[in-house]
Amino acid sequence: MGPLLTVLAPISFVNEHLLRLGRGIGAVAMALMVVAILIQVFFRYVLNNALPWPDEAARFCMMWMTGLMAPTAFRRGGFVAIDMLVIALPRIVGGVINLCLLLLSLLVLLVASKIGYAEVTGFGGRFTTAALYIPTALDFSEYTRVPRSWMMASLLVGVWMLVLVNIELALRAIIALFGGEDRMTPIPETASLGGAE
Amino acid sequence: MLVWFLPVFLVFLMIGLPVFFGLLAAPGILLYLNGQERDITLLYRNVYNGMDSFPLMAIPFFMLAGELMNKGGITMRLVEFAQALMGHLRGGLAHVNVLSSMLFAGLSGSAVADTSALGSMLIPAMEKQGYTRKFAAAITAASSVIGPIIPPSGIMIIYAYVMGESVAALFLAGIVPGAMVGIGLMIMVKILADKYDFPVASRKYTWGERGQASLKAFFPLLTPVIILGGILFGVFTPTEAAAVAVAYAMIIGFFVLRTLTIGEMPDILIRAGITSSVVMLLVGAAMAFKTVVSLSHAPEQMAAIILGLSDNPLILLFLINLLLFVVGMFLDAGPAIIILGPILGPIFIDLGVDPIHFAIIMSVNLTVGLATPPMGLVLFVASAVSGERVEAIAKAILPFLFVEIIVIFMITYIPAISMTIPRLTGFAN
Repeated sequence: MGPLLTVLAPISFVNEHLLRLGRGIGAVAMALMVVAILIQVFFRYVLNNALPWPDEAARFCMMWMTGLMAPTAFRRGGFVAIDMLVIALPRIVGGVINLCLLLLSLLVLLVASKIGYAEVTGFGGRFTTAALYIPTALDFSEYTRVPRSWMMASLLVGVWMLVLVNIELALRAIIALFGGEDRMTPIPETASLGGAE
Repeated sequence: MLVWFLPVFLVFLMIGLPVFFGLLAAPGILLYLNGQERDITLLYRNVYNGMDSFPLMAIPFFMLAGELMNKGGITMRLVEFAQALMGHLRGGLAHVNVLSSMLFAGLSGSAVADTSALGSMLIPAMEKQGYTRKFAAAITAASSVIGPIIPPSGIMIIYAYVMGESVAALFLAGIVPGAMVGIGLMIMVKILADKYDFPVASRKYTWGERGQASLKAFFPLLTPVIILGGILFGVFTPTEAAAVAVAYAMIIGFFVLRTLTIGEMPDILIRAGITSSVVMLLVGAAMAFKTVVSLSHAPEQMAAIILGLSDNPLILLFLINLLLFVVGMFLDAGPAIIILGPILGPIFIDLGVDPIHFAIIMSVNLTVGLATPPMGLVLFVASAVSGERVEAIAKAILPFLFVEIIVIFMITYIPAISMTIPRLTGFAN
């Protein structure tokens, strides 16, 4: 039990802080999405000038918001699942099934991570976004298009963070199986999340 | 062989694998075993492309608008307005509960937000007036399902996106069914109130007082008008309407009611963001799942099975309602729509059921499932808000579920209930 708790502590620490950072950036991304779409509405209907970039900028922000905030939901038990069986079964059996499910999730995430990395660094990532530019000179005299890979990286980063969370949850499941539940620091705010309902 | 991904997926789901992972693991494993490893990359791409969508952005925006309105004290004004209209009736607070849910539905589109916002206010008030706690929690949970039926609606945006339908058409088609659920619940409240001699909530308000309450609720109640009006008259797309709803909720909260503070904004953004991110991932995975559904020819095989039961669409609709109701008992509406929409939708559309009509049947049925035991999400929320046991609420909610089931069948067999408004406004044929 001791070694497992020793491994768990730094992973929990990293996840705690990494996810907090993710939530912070995600909140800013959410605010920017709203601003971008309001600018789009204002320019199109008030100034009669349809801007090309707000749509893509808002989607860029939305993708990063999703990638950075979904791991928090996963860690807090917010991913929708029918967990009746695991709860109804005896503690050990339920614990073993829970661990197996986490390992299956980990497998999905590792495969996604491999494919995601190939996608971001591969052919698709070499294109640029259609309407997003960043300045390349300090006096804003030169611009270049934002690489598409920057947007594609949102899902990959999200998957990597989910892998970290998954490893922590699996370790917690193993420790709980050995009866060490009360020796772990609980994950804060384990609130149920409502989804689109 | 690929078609086996469906039973594998169901097994994963039943043993408790999160839906997001199940939607990817089951097809992924079967594609691998089928020697189609390259298509696993397609799954990943479809998750990404499925999320990278402008129409889908309406979901985080509506969630943010709902959070802002909740925090901004708009709920209180709606309840006061409902009380001014219906508080004097026997069973007044129960009526107020239902009417508040109908009004709240025009702002948030979330049954969970409805239960927690209205429940925390009305359940203690109802208890104080002599209602049992389980009854107060049950009527709160039962009426909250109106939230995703009356527009705006998160699950209808998901359905429209996954099935390629018009969000505006679905929003418009939900108006009458949502109102019918509300009116049905009020009729049941009246029957129970007469039978059990429920108390009245307040004296009868004068028309002047009602006018004052209406003025206080005027700005919040303008939200659905802006959203639907904007979409209907072609001023906004649904996504833009949702962003405008966010701006409007902020203006009301910061400048009209002055109940919101800048310090509350990070928490509001984070809550809306976390909830939205789960939905976004689910929708992305659903788009990947849908690809494998097409590759496997599962709908054709399912159609053969279903048509083998009967070729009468009316009987099939009855059976499908039973299936949806059972699914709704165990699975939340959003994931259920994501999983079943691409499989069942094409079958019934081929049978001549209008796609919008079928969307409403699915949405209303699965939304009612949010309040059915054993896994109804809003039952748990109502339990958390009221402190009453889920089992007790599940028993007390039965008369209201009976009403909602009747409405489901009315919607199923009288298409005009959902189709009239979209047809009149030119959003459906």
